[in-house]
Amino acid sequence: MTTETLSKPLIPPSTHEFADVIHRLEAGGSMLPDTPENLMQIIGIYKAYAVPMDFYWRDLLYIAEHVFLNPLPALKYVLPQEYLDLHNHYAGDDADLRIWRGEATAHPELLEFIEKGELKQKLPKLLHHLWHDRINMEFAEACMRAMFWHRGMGGQFDPYLDSDEYKANADRAIRAYFQGNPLMLGLYNLFPEMFLEQVRELSYYANLGLFWEVMAPVFFEMSDLYDEGKLTTVPEAMNFLVNGIFAIAGRPIYHHVYIRGECYEIIPKSKGFMWLYEAALPYVEAVFYRTSPFRGTKSYNAQARQVPTDQKDFHYGILYADVFPVGSAGIPPTLLMQDMLHFLPPYLLDYYNQYCRGEDDMLIQLGVSFQRSMYNVTSAVIQALRTALLYPLDDPNPRHLIANRQFFEAQIDRFTRPEARLRDIQKQDYR
Amino acid sequence: MADIVDIAVNADGFKTLVTAVHVANLVETLKSPGPFTVFAPNDDAFAKLPPGTIQTLVQNAPQLARILTFHVVPGKWMKADLEQVDSVISFEGSPIRIDTSDGFEVKNATVLAADIEADNGVIHVLDRVILMG
Amino acid sequence: MLSTLIWFPVLGAIAIALLPPRHLKLAALIISGLVLLWTLWIANQFDFTNPLLQFREYLPWLEPLGLNYQLGVDGLSLPLLLLNSLLTWIVLYSSQEDIKRPRLFYSLILLVSGAVAGAFLAQNLLLFFLFYEVELVPFYLLISIWGGEKRNYAAIKFLLYTAVSGALILVAFLGVVWLQGANSFAYEALMGQSLPLWLQIVFLSLVLVGFGIKIPLVPLHTWLPDTYVAASAPVAILLGGVLAKLGAYGIFRFGLGLFPEAWATLAPGLATWATVSVLYGATIAIAQKDIKRMVAYSSIGHMGYILLGGAALTALSLVGAVAQMVAHGLILAILFHLVGVVETKVGTRDLDVLNGLMNPVRGLPLVSALLVLGGMASAGIPGLVGFVSEFLVFQGSYSVFPVQTLLCVVGTGLTAVYFVILLNRTCFGKLDNAIAYFPKVEWRERVPALILAITIVFLGIQPTWLVRWSESTTLSMVAAVPILAQPTIAQASEAPEASSNPVSQGVTTR
Repeated sequence: MTTETLSKPLIPPSTHEFADVIHRLEAGGSMLPDTPENLMQIIGIYKAYAVPMDFYWRDLLYIAEHVFLNPLPALKYVLPQEYLDLHNHYAGDDADLRIWRGEATAHPELLEFIEKGELKQKLPKLLHHLWHDRINMEFAEACMRAMFWHRGMGGQFDPYLDSDEYKANADRAIRAYFQGNPLMLGLYNLFPEMFLEQVRELSYYANLGLFWEVMAPVFFEMSDLYDEGKLTTVPEAMNFLVNGIFAIAGRPIYHHVYIRGECYEIIPKSKGFMWLYEAALPYVEAVFYRTSPFRGTKSYNAQARQVPTDQKDFHYGILYADVFPVGSAGIPPTLLMQDMLHFLPPYLLDYYNQYCRGEDDMLIQLGVSFQRSMYNVTSAVIQALRTALLYPLDDPNPRHLIANRQFFEAQIDRFTRPEARLRDIQKQDYR
Repeated sequence: MADIVDIAVNADGFKTLVTAVHVANLVETLKSPGPFTVFAPNDDAFAKLPPGTIQTLVQNAPQLARILTFHVVPGKWMKADLEQVDSVISFEGSPIRIDTSDGFEVKNATVLAADIEADNGVIHVLDRVILMG
Repeated sequence: MLSTLIWFPVLGAIAIALLPPRHLKLAALIISGLVLLWTLWIANQFDFTNPLLQFREYLPWLEPLGLNYQLGVDGLSLPLLLLNSLLTWIVLYSSQEDIKRPRLFYSLILLVSGAVAGAFLAQNLLLFFLFYEVELVPFYLLISIWGGEKRNYAAIKFLLYTAVSGALILVAFLGVVWLQGANSFAYEALMGQSLPLWLQIVFLSLVLVGFGIKIPLVPLHTWLPDTYVAASAPVAILLGGVLAKLGAYGIFRFGLGLFPEAWATLAPGLATWATVSVLYGATIAIAQKDIKRMVAYSSIGHMGYILLGGAALTALSLVGAVAQMVAHGLILAILFHLVGVVETKVGTRDLDVLNGLMNPVRGLPLVSALLVLGGMASAGIPGLVGFVSEFLVFQGSYSVFPVQTLLCVVGTGLTAVYFVILLNRTCFGKLDNAIAYFPKVEWRERVPALILAITIVFLGIQPTWLVRWSESTTLSMVAAVPILAQPTIAQASEAPEASSNPVSQGVTTR
């Protein structure tokens, strides 16, 4: 990678701790080294991620739009047919912008899983549910909560939740939803802030659902292109994501609620909230970088300052996470890995069977692959931001190249923390 | 003299911008007395955006309007005025960085033609669409 | 009938030495499995209420020498026979598939098993001595060929110590017979001997030192840490689980059995000696950084309870001592086995390196969980077999040697201390990502630990199964001690007279 910078003597080589990575980014590469093994891992994982994601976004929207403030949402993880048939805006023949060449309705593998589960048997849905043989929506909710808890990560969506306009919209929806229910209306009059806060959370359900509606077809398409032999390097995979980010950047982010067939616009599309600024960037910040420590895996002593006092200093996201506790009950990474395990492409199953403990520790092996793939997604975000806000990589102006360099270095500085896994993913034997 | 919209319509190389302004329902606004300063990306600038970007924006007028209003600043800011400041606040609400130390740069775009005066403001032509953030 | 327990494994050992190398392990497992079943059948036929020897066998051999082939089993040896058969099978099962020189290894293990069974069964002093010495060389080879680092040093040390132990025992046996003027080494003939007390004390001391090396008791223990640590896990299980029991068995059978008066005289000293062993073993274990060494030192401490129970010489304490032999054998076996698994997987036994093995996928979760169980059993947590035996010992000894018993209870507390250290460092905390690429734990490694764990829990909640074998025998041993000789015990033995079956009552009323 360093040889490529030698051919561009416009600016001196970087002296950063991760100079190799910086030079690779400047040459149009990814933070993840370009090896066929890495490519296979990340594409396989994108596919395995996209199938449960196809469920996540549908259910997130279902909860935001229909379950809404149901005080006993026992069936919120059971999707009605209407939402399984809901057309993804970026797949199918009637797509706004066709990213995936597949169908707009729920993915066939997802439908089969909903029907038969990992037991591969058709049993009453309740039994599958009680056996926990289902998609772990709790993971999607954990991501949503990470965004909601951190808040204030840029964009206009979050400040809007505190505006009077938002409160008025929410108030109309709440009153309509609890019409004829004096108990809940009485509670609302007593504790209006509590209900508002619930609606804010539901707005983040919608936000994340709309965000993932885009990512699922993007990942499906990448997997198809790889299978067709049209995606052959890690930078190609990254550039597909960069282009995707731009293509979808203007997709509206909104929150509509349907009460007795009537649509209440809590966050109308006309607010001009965009996928890139109001959903994607806060998502990356909240889920990839910050989140919070997994419960039950390690004890942190806040008095000893083992947990940062400032939320913005949290670094527990997937780019930093210790994947090895995956398998511990109930932690979000376990839930996601378990979901992805059901949809791994055959080549990845074979690959994992060859290493470490094979089938026994596949959850962790795929967790590490997931970490690699998310470093690639983050690289795409960094390159997209560079494209949007800075200069082309082949810009002849050294001043512009220095600005790019400073941007890359500032981004990579976030990975100089000891717990960051950037160092690990440079090595193939981190698995 | 003509207003900002008329100048753009009559000049070569602003087809995309003019279409976008129509779709976003900003024609009336830009014809109003203002005054405004418009950083106008030419067709080449729009073409530099990755494929699909414009398509999605054109489908969603409010979002497109937001990107466009980021290119508009209240008041009439000639190049000489902009040399005095580091940044200006756009209609969209986000700041726009101005750098006149070496040429005339607006954020990451370079001004191709400055100080095209109109009835209700001034136009500076950009070689790149600028984005918030 | 009893001969089968000795000669079947020995013949099996010879057969294995001649077999083609393909199914050696399977053959060895079948042989020891049959022995185990046979032992269980004998246990099934055993009459608990009869304190005397059962299933006797007699073959004249070298009559002029007084060496005859006399076998028999009673409540003292039966539990130990069961333990021996079970642990032999477990050791064979848990040995690595690709162990080097498999033929020799399996033959030696079977040979040791047969010899140990012979020693437990022999009712002739010379015959016992022969069996006792026979397992010496196989153990030497097992340590020096399949051991870890410093194995040669450890094997030689073991050989020297045990040779001395054998010599002392032989001197005592010969002395008893000659001075008695007996013409036979038969055990029963020597039981009611009438040597003067001071001679008895001399011989008892020889026996105590001889078997004390084997157990081992402080300060005769110095061979143990080196040997246990250098031996591979299966051999360490045999050493700690079975061979140490041979020492304890010898002290009871030939010390207490032959010289009851001298025993009663020395009892306070023995109890104190036991206490020193317990406290010494526990405190040294706390200081260890090597988990195998820690377990090895824990063994010294726990063998002390056996001597305490024997010294107190009440029906309850003696049953407790026999129970403790079995309990300690099971617990030590599971601990050594698991420590062995940890070592093979993680590649270290260092407490400063080990961490987070409880990790559900990349750690060794089942091994860690069972290690916790083993540690709890060893520390005498109720519901596990270690509690039953230790409680019986303490309950039985307190009335006789209150100070020593209380100090031994403190020793149990110290056991908890070092096991908490061991478990906390090994199983809990955060798994180190840099090193945590351990191989899979095979079923071959899980099954032995599971069997032992089930036994430990079962005997913990159903202690009758553990103590009922030995009650009548130990009762008769207590009765054999002349009451006038030791006034201290007179008060204590009132308790057993109160009911016909004091132990079961003691166990059930808890």
